Amino acid sequence: MHTYIIRRLLLMFPTLIGITIVVFSVMAAAPGGISAQSLVEGQNLEPQVKRAMEEYYNRLYGLNDSAPMQYLRWLNNVSPVGFTFDKEHNIEAFSLTKGSDLGTSFRYGRPVLDLIEERLPITMLLNVLSIPLIYIVAIVIGVHAATQRAKAFDVGSGISMLALWSVPTMLAGVLMIGFFASDQYWHWFPTSGLSQREALDMQFLPHWSSAVDLLLLFGSVAIAMAALITLSLRGGWRLRTTLMALLGGGLGFMMAAALPGESAALTYIMLMALLAALCGLIGYTDYHALRTGTMALVGLCVGAGIAFAFLQGTFVVGFMFDRIWHLILPVVCLSYGGFAFLAKLTRSSVLENLLSDYARTARAKGVPEQQVLWRHVFRNSLLPLITVSAGLLPSLLGGSIIVEVLFSIDGMGKLAVEAVQSRDRELVLSITLIGALLSLAGYLLADLCYAIADPRVSYE
Amino acid sequence: MSEINISAPRQQRSYAAQVLREVFMQWGARLGIAWIVVLVTVAVFAPFLASSYPLLLSEQSQISSPLLHHLTATDVTLLIIFFVVLLLCFVRISFRRKFVPALLIGSVAATLCYSLIAPPQLNIYEQYREQERAAGYDWLIRAPIPYSAKDYLRDVGDSGLKAPLSAQQQTHWFGTDENGADVLSRMIHASRIALSIGFVATGIAMVLGTIIGGLMGYFSGIFDMIGMRLVEIFEAIPVLFLLLTFVAFFGRNLYVMMIIIGITGWTGYARFVRAEFLKLRQQEFVQAAIACGLPLRSILFRHILPNGMAPILVATSFGVASAILAEATLSFLGLGLVDDPSWGQMLNQAVQSATFNWWMAVFPGGAIFLTVFAYNLIGETMRDAIDPYLKKSAK
Repeated sequence: MHTYIIRRLLLMFPTLIGITIVVFSVMAAAPGGISAQSLVEGQNLEPQVKRAMEEYYNRLYGLNDSAPMQYLRWLNNVSPVGFTFDKEHNIEAFSLTKGSDLGTSFRYGRPVLDLIEERLPITMLLNVLSIPLIYIVAIVIGVHAATQRAKAFDVGSGISMLALWSVPTMLAGVLMIGFFASDQYWHWFPTSGLSQREALDMQFLPHWSSAVDLLLLFGSVAIAMAALITLSLRGGWRLRTTLMALLGGGLGFMMAAALPGESAALTYIMLMALLAALCGLIGYTDYHALRTGTMALVGLCVGAGIAFAFLQGTFVVGFMFDRIWHLILPVVCLSYGGFAFLAKLTRSSVLENLLSDYARTARAKGVPEQQVLWRHVFRNSLLPLITVSAGLLPSLLGGSIIVEVLFSIDGMGKLAVEAVQSRDRELVLSITLIGALLSLAGYLLADLCYAIADPRVSYE
Repeated sequence: MSEINISAPRQQRSYAAQVLREVFMQWGARLGIAWIVVLVTVAVFAPFLASSYPLLLSEQSQISSPLLHHLTATDVTLLIIFFVVLLLCFVRISFRRKFVPALLIGSVAATLCYSLIAPPQLNIYEQYREQERAAGYDWLIRAPIPYSAKDYLRDVGDSGLKAPLSAQQQTHWFGTDENGADVLSRMIHASRIALSIGFVATGIAMVLGTIIGGLMGYFSGIFDMIGMRLVEIFEAIPVLFLLLTFVAFFGRNLYVMMIIIGITGWTGYARFVRAEFLKLRQQEFVQAAIACGLPLRSILFRHILPNGMAPILVATSFGVASAILAEATLSFLGLGLVDDPSWGQMLNQAVQSATFNWWMAVFPGGAIFLTVFAYNLIGETMRDAIDPYLKKSAK
């Protein structure tokens, strides 16, 4: 195992060098490329000043060297072991302890490492929240779809997951911001950023001025959730569907009433019908886990909504809730495509194992179906999910480009777009390097998880 | 096959659900293909569907057609190719024999059109409307949507945002954008970009991936080592980031974008083809072909490739969808084409404006969604068709 890991780690170096060469040659081969002229361009300067600036940039970044030389210099700067130079750019000595230096950003004039240290945690936060969500939803839907093969749930979830997978992130983001965050429609969520300015000075947890309010909030949330969970667990399907459809209709009416300005009767009817159908569908489905979970979530929202309508005293959101409030739309945007794709994968992989001989043997032995599913089949179906998880990280990093630009969140994705647009060589190369390092680490981790999930896999 | 193919269904399920599934899966593919056919037709006939120039007009009892006069070389080439392909569909000859004349006629038509047709450089969209208002024509016939994609309706006065069907004097089915151009007309003209990017970029990716993957799979050894490192290199960079870098550094041009999307998307095909070739290389018919002393070209392209085509086709369908998405994303990030409308760029416009105008987001975004969904549906159906486990259930 150890030799395997060491070999993989060593193989990373040529790949990393290859990746940076690809990106560097794209930049170097481009018409115009990166030169001191392109950096000074656009600034309104006198010719002498311009020339002086060009010379300054050339000296600073070594831009008038040949492209391979520039790459080698960058590589030498980045690697922790390498040559050191004296003031005239002559090789001074070979040093093992010179440390790595990612360089200075052209655009920001700051060390790249600082910028990345600022931005990376934000992107990581988005991804750390999205990945569990993606896996939970995908497994909940995919496994059930496989057991319900060719029945209504399977067909319905198959089509809707394919549709969800096809929705471009930009469209989902634009519509969510437009309808749920702009003050033209429902101003429920903030449009951009990760926290309000005021929230930075607040305490971490929310607090209320009066205990009655607190009681009201927790009471109404608890009652609403308990009522809906009981309904889901105890009620017959007719009762569930009717009550949920009525609740949906009521919510639709309230949403239409909450629209700014006069709403037409058509808006009322459409919203009520839509929400009634949606909630009715949730109540109708015979999949306990999904139904109870969704209904509990609906209960949480309804309870909180009621409580906030009747709150008396002042209420301070607190840093944590403000952050959560800001994160809901971006995380939803980032994760729906992933779970749609993964749910389909889970379904096919579970289905394959459900039809296999060992599952039939287990059933023949008299093992209960649930145990066959979760103990035997599910564990074997994990392998493709693990394989995909390796590719998930780079794709989430890529996906967060759109989400971060849309929601103006200052993460790595937005930094990448800005770097590329302003032709910031050091920044582009560093982002590539770090992104590639993360994804290679993801691949390695996935391969190690493989060995844990499947004892037959060994890397000796 | 003396095996009895009838077996009891493994799981109890209602007949209706089974039928529903069977029908819907085929239905899905049919719906997808239907949408793409509609899109192709719209793209080919775009100038006839949406144009500010009248189709026919009579001025002092002289009949002329400004629309035909303003057709560009691209328009005419597309029309010729469309009709040639349509004609060849009805001729009963093998696909291979159809392909060559279609390609030949297409290229000849393109050369002729681009050398002969020279529409007026200057487009004055308003002149016919003004003339009409001044009652200068006896009669005129307009296109169904009487606005060109870049007609900003400067003559109408308060040009600017209008919600669908809100303006009194003109009908804008999908509203207008901030510059006053008709959204539906822009969408119709943008369908060309979406379709062509999808086909060409995927074509490039497929050819590249097939060649590299085929070499890796057939020769293995050192080829495989280098090839897989190359695949790994391209896969470790997020595709969108690589695309961004390429586009930001190499100008914004439709053809450059096609090539770039193709270059960044070949790794998946290479993996598929490599796996297929590795598998097929060991089979008897390939060994027999080698033993017969057939040339390498024949072994690779006539014996192995057709047998490993199915997974490539599935990947192609999904690939077209992702190429369309890639173009839309680039345009959305403001790195797309500068002048011509594209669906992603229209979505970007919806974000850029100060207020949220739903028609500017819903219609172009919906078009992207429907097109991507259509290709994914087709790919899904094909994948199900070649999946042995689903075949098992169809018994």
